[in-house]
Amino acid sequence: MDKVGIVGCTQTKYEADKIDQTYSELVFEVVKKLHNKLGITNNDIGCVITSSNDFNDGRTIANMAIQDAVGSVRKAESRVSGDGTFAYIYGAMRILSESFDTVLVVSHCKCSEVNQYLVNNTIFDPYYQRHLGLDQISSAGLMANMYMNKYGVTEEQAAKVVVKNRKNALNNPYAHLQKEITINEVLNSKMLAYPLKELDFPPFSDGAVAMLLAKEDIAKKMTDTPVWLKGYGSCTDAYYLGHRNMTDLIGLELAAREAYKMANINDPVKELDVCEVSENFSIHELMIYEALGFCASGEGGKFIEEGETEMNGSIPVNPSGGVLSSNPIMANGLIRVAEIALQLKGKADKRQVPNAKIGLAYGMNGICSQGNCVLIFGGE
Amino acid sequence: MSKHDVAVVGIGQTKFRSKRRDVNIPEMVYEAVKMALDDAQLEPQEIDAIIIGNMDHFEGINYSELFCGIEGAPGYLKPVVKVATGGTTGSSLAISGYHNVASGIYNKVLVVGWEKLNEGGATTGIITAFDPVWERPSLAGALGPLALMAGMYSAKYGITPEQAAKVTVKNRSNAANNPFAHLQMPNITIDYVMSSQMISYPLRLHDVCPQSEGACALIYANEEETKKITDNPAWFHAVETAHYYTFGTDDKMYDLPTAAIASKKAYKKAGIKNPVKDLDVAEIYEPTSWSELSWTEALGFCKPGEGGKLLDEGITLMSGEFPVNPSGGVLSTNPIGATAMVRVAEAAIQVMGRGEKRQVPDVEKALAMGFGGSLWAEILLLGKEPLR
Amino acid sequence: MSKKKDQEKVFEIKWKTNLQYRYSIGKLAVKFFEELKKNKKIMGSKCPKCGKVNFPPRAVCADCMVEMTIDDMVELPPKGTLEGFTVVNYPFTDPNTGGMRPFPYGYGLFKLDGADTYTMHFVNETDVTKMKIGQRVEAVFSEELIGDLTADIPYFNIVKEEK
Repeated sequence: MDKVGIVGCTQTKYEADKIDQTYSELVFEVVKKLHNKLGITNNDIGCVITSSNDFNDGRTIANMAIQDAVGSVRKAESRVSGDGTFAYIYGAMRILSESFDTVLVVSHCKCSEVNQYLVNNTIFDPYYQRHLGLDQISSAGLMANMYMNKYGVTEEQAAKVVVKNRKNALNNPYAHLQKEITINEVLNSKMLAYPLKELDFPPFSDGAVAMLLAKEDIAKKMTDTPVWLKGYGSCTDAYYLGHRNMTDLIGLELAAREAYKMANINDPVKELDVCEVSENFSIHELMIYEALGFCASGEGGKFIEEGETEMNGSIPVNPSGGVLSSNPIMANGLIRVAEIALQLKGKADKRQVPNAKIGLAYGMNGICSQGNCVLIFGGE
Repeated sequence: MSKHDVAVVGIGQTKFRSKRRDVNIPEMVYEAVKMALDDAQLEPQEIDAIIIGNMDHFEGINYSELFCGIEGAPGYLKPVVKVATGGTTGSSLAISGYHNVASGIYNKVLVVGWEKLNEGGATTGIITAFDPVWERPSLAGALGPLALMAGMYSAKYGITPEQAAKVTVKNRSNAANNPFAHLQMPNITIDYVMSSQMISYPLRLHDVCPQSEGACALIYANEEETKKITDNPAWFHAVETAHYYTFGTDDKMYDLPTAAIASKKAYKKAGIKNPVKDLDVAEIYEPTSWSELSWTEALGFCKPGEGGKLLDEGITLMSGEFPVNPSGGVLSTNPIGATAMVRVAEAAIQVMGRGEKRQVPDVEKALAMGFGGSLWAEILLLGKEPLR
Repeated sequence: MSKKKDQEKVFEIKWKTNLQYRYSIGKLAVKFFEELKKNKKIMGSKCPKCGKVNFPPRAVCADCMVEMTIDDMVELPPKGTLEGFTVVNYPFTDPNTGGMRPFPYGYGLFKLDGADTYTMHFVNETDVTKMKIGQRVEAVFSEELIGDLTADIPYFNIVKEEK
């Protein structure tokens, strides 16, 4: 595979309610910051790929509102209606197909403008599932319950994920929630959908993220630290919750397998230096460890107890604080990519994992990891 | 021209109707998908990835690709992603499929566009595409701006309602040769169009496209796989997109500058100097009869202002030098998420010589166009041989 | 009950999704509505780089990729020239109200004097024979201004030519 490099990334500070900015202005903020950071103008950008969601933005063809902001007047722009990781890989494909030399990829989401539970309920089909009032909370509760029941993982082990990620977020100036939390606080928080409590879930955030991709020779000219795509895999699990494997994230496992194969990775814990994953609730991250092959099925709780995924562990996961600290839903995956890029560039400041050379980013679509995209990056 | 050559090797369409009461969404999608798989003689498992889309908001199902990509297409345990860009959804899907294969990431992909328009409200939905503060209060869906464009175009160049009506007559009688088309009117007359109700001056009811339900599926393969699948593919020569200002009204609208920009880029890439001479047929996206006249100018088929003359002289008729919309076009069939993809499917059908009663003789190269959003345009060029 | 209704009962499920959005409108829109309500002024935004005057006002000049702020807003006269018109004559549900929008209604595309972009709004005329490209139009303000576009400027009038 030819080389596609991430030249640079920009992010907004993630917040609960950016009421004074339209989402178009949020997008312009990151795009303009990126132009300035890289010393480029709109003329240096070949085309634009965006990621957004009509239901969240409250507009059909929601990307119409951001054409001015991304600079796509008289240019090509296309929108992936899904998580930012899918927009990233589409952007990379446009370079690998030799159609464009540089691609701007942007993802945004303002959760503050609409009731997220209702929006989530619309993911479910109107024939069978929607009437049940299912949303991300209740589905997560079902999944967590089945997983914990099968493997004996405990609520305390799950709470460790929240403690770890919220602590890591203190080092991330962009993070929405920047306050440490204790296991007891998590365990004593309000029960939302047994066995998951309020603090097992992420906040809702507003924010945007942008990055510039370039083909090899241009990326090398534009930056001393291009971040190369090494592996990619994508896989979609069944739609109906009743058809899904609710205790093992099969879709993620298969996506990761493809990505590892492409990147020539046989032992992820040894060969990966850092990971950024889209953990939608505490237990989810433990299931993700297993699906990514960091440990055997059901051992996710033990894995975190052994400290393996802490900042000083063998495979730090979510130095940025993860989704549990910042959750502008559609943008989550692209934020993971941006954070891995910062790690591999050595520019992650206080949240830097020393000598990070290979990193993994995971983004998901839909409910409980139905759609999965795994990306592996390398600094060399 | 690109890393890998990409060809259309399988095509599926549903018979488009105003209401498909007999099927739910995944069942409708499956009809087109099955037809495409059978056409390419491929098993569902042989597809590497699926890109599927509709007018995101319309049927009220969020992440619809995770639903019908699994339940109506072979997406289980495969990559499934949605590209949704409004009216251009079908062509954006087609272009996304192209990059998926041209990049070498996948060898065989399935792209599907669908719409079950009556399960939402089209005009109401389209109004929400626009700014809630500045545009929605007065906007009348897609028809309002299209009516303004028609009026301005008419005033600028003296194009008459009769000339516009000729487009509907051409397209809906062409549609009688297309077994998939929604409105098939072999005996339609200019009088019929011009006596229909004025719905937004100067647009009459029959100057305007219908609302259809249906799905369209295409299977793409790279050069190696194509050899194994068929000896009659349709190769992509160029795919280009051009977008415009967020506020579609920022600039004069009627001459669709984006179609001019995208088509010029596509022609250059594919070595087309004079589209009417170097191409053999075009499937363009005409939401109204007036649009077709105006778009033929933007696409360089004739000089500005001469769109009416082009049809008056018979050049774009089935019997003419450069037929436009042998399938019946959007005026005959409009399932929004699929409409632009149907243009690509029909262009591919022409190149493959499979158009039967609607086949234009000796087609080597064809043009397909998508239109939507705030004056967005996409152009795809296909040919019998890979581009060299 | 008719066969059609029976079929509908069996074959279809009706579902109403009521999603309420609280859209952010941005600082320039806030300023626009303040000026409209307090001072009966119409404001556009002018790009500090290329000088293009935009109406409606917005935070980004798309041609220059330059930000416009409240300081870049300029007053525009409530007058312009009609560049396109139509009379909408079909029923549809208004997503703002959930009910049907009354029709027929006049709808025009015009440039306010001094603006470089066109804009659309209601026009107070439903007879197309009385409308022509090139006519002058002027905004009609409500008696009471509340800071809402269509409540405060319900439509534009076509200025009758002096004989």
